[in-house]
Amino acid sequence: MKGNPSDFLPLSPAALHILLSLAGEDLHGYGIMQEVARRKYRIGPGTLYDNLQKMIERRWVEELGTRPADDDPRRRYYRLTARGRGILREETSRLGEVVREARLRLQVAKPRRA
Amino acid sequence: MLRFLYRCALHLHPPAFHRRFADEMLFIFDQQTSKSAAAKLLIDALVSTTRQWVLRPQGRYAHPAESPQTLPDGIPTFYTIRPFRPRKAAAVHGIALTTVVFCLTCFAIRYSWIRVLHLRIREVPFEESTWVPPAAAPASDQTAAGAQRRPAVEAAVSNPIPSAASRVEKKSPQLPATARQQDNTSNPVMPAESGPPEVNAAATALPPANASRQASFAVALRPAAVESLKLGQAQRHRVVRAAIENLNKYYVEPEMARRMADALLSHERAGDDQAITDPEAFATLLTDQLQKASHDRCVEVIYGTEPTVSSPRAPTPTEVAEYRSRMIESNCTFEKIEILPHNIGYLKFNSFPDAALCGSMASRAMKKLNGADAIIFDLRDNSGGYANMVALLATYLFDRPTHLNDFYNRGENSIEQSWTLEPIPGDKLADKPVFILTSSRTFSAAEAFSYDLKMLKRATLVGETTSGRGHMGAVHRIDDRFAIRIPEIKVTNPISKTNWQGTGVEPDVKVRAGDALQIAERLALAKLPRK
Repeated sequence: MKGNPSDFLPLSPAALHILLSLAGEDLHGYGIMQEVARRKYRIGPGTLYDNLQKMIERRWVEELGTRPADDDPRRRYYRLTARGRGILREETSRLGEVVREARLRLQVAKPRRA
Repeated sequence: MLRFLYRCALHLHPPAFHRRFADEMLFIFDQQTSKSAAAKLLIDALVSTTRQWVLRPQGRYAHPAESPQTLPDGIPTFYTIRPFRPRKAAAVHGIALTTVVFCLTCFAIRYSWIRVLHLRIREVPFEESTWVPPAAAPASDQTAAGAQRRPAVEAAVSNPIPSAASRVEKKSPQLPATARQQDNTSNPVMPAESGPPEVNAAATALPPANASRQASFAVALRPAAVESLKLGQAQRHRVVRAAIENLNKYYVEPEMARRMADALLSHERAGDDQAITDPEAFATLLTDQLQKASHDRCVEVIYGTEPTVSSPRAPTPTEVAEYRSRMIESNCTFEKIEILPHNIGYLKFNSFPDAALCGSMASRAMKKLNGADAIIFDLRDNSGGYANMVALLATYLFDRPTHLNDFYNRGENSIEQSWTLEPIPGDKLADKPVFILTSSRTFSAAEAFSYDLKMLKRATLVGETTSGRGHMGAVHRIDDRFAIRIPEIKVTNPISKTNWQGTGVEPDVKVRAGDALQIAERLALAKLPRK
């Protein structure tokens, strides 16, 4: 999958949270869900795997062929690729700009005393 | 239970998605401790199923290359062809393009000026039977129309008049034309002239409805026709004598009848017939001899394996019903009634059906065109038919009853006149320019219509010279197997004192039939008053 990372921005909240969850460590699907839930955002398995499918196709995420020996064999682990990390960086930067802009405007709008 | 339903929902996903994620999704389901959470996951799975099928077309296909299967013996299975997955935009473009091409194709078929795509099967007139018996191959100098041989029975059955109107007319053959005209004036759709000429006109210019019946008779008789008898000298002589007798009695021009009789006799004396024992070939030979002597392609000796029947005879109720239903089915062969650009009326009809049956249809058609500034009659595929329809349609083009033509019947030694009716109230076409499109397929009554209006300087003919059928005839029995078709009614125009027999009707503007409409429209436009 080729294309400029900015072509895919802005990311959907679900995609952002999934990438963010995988940015720290390799996780299985259920682990991603829990990690996302920890940030007060909820996604169901349908949304999760739909997004994972797209991310795998776009080479943002890759599936690992290995898992801990004592783990449930149904679990699959996913890892963020360099490309996926780049996308996340771009999105974070974009959001940073949005946040900065928002803060600036909120300050301007604040009433001042004479 | 919920787990079972959840598994079912997972199974409903596209196979590729299911293969890849179903186990893990089920694992997540198994981690749920409360029923409400499990129910939420079930709903989530159903939503996911819908999303995968509707919004993710690529997910419908398996990706074997990405997940190679391995056979039990360890040999991997390779897939080399990836499934084709068109982009959404490509699919939309494809649908749009297909729709446009389909619409253009339909439009081209409907309005093509190149008649290659014109799929309608034209009605075939009496003279133009489409089947030629194998033993009766036409001579080299004969054209397709009128040169075919048909078994006598086929001709005898198709020859008679199949209309109720003609049967009625037969009841009063001795009435003078004026008397009949008075009788008929009570019916606004019936032409003034409806005497015996119509009977005989129908006898030759058969309504197209019967054309397909002819074909079916021909096919039915075909195998039987092969089993023919051997002809002897005496039989040949008898057929020749009877043919001559009938020609002298009925053929419309006595002088020509004598010439044909002489030709038959001289051929017989020269022994030209001696080698022929096959009756069908003999009939063909006699026909050739007659047509070479007269240049009249309507005269014909006919052979059939079934007993021949002289015509005209009254149509059977079945024939009448069949004709009626065919006319109703085919909209009385009125194919197009349109107002072209610049308010030019256009009427294409492919026969002149019996006015008794189709008069109201014709009146409706003319009424629809009543507001037109010019009118184009398209007779390029018109195979002829009834004189009463000729008179009825011509009535709309005159402001007074007009003498169209005379029918001379040699057998009855009578002359009947054909006139248009009294003007139709409200008719606005009497002073409008009229154009008639003709082709080499314009036959019989259609030729009469063209010729009469041309002679009256009421219409401009555009197209090709017509086929040249100015005589009308009937079949006369010679014996059980042989019959002869003899033109015995001559149509004579009161202005030219002649007709189009053999020569066809010459158009005023001679162009290819395919271009005739376009040219006529141009001519009509030039004649229209400038607004």
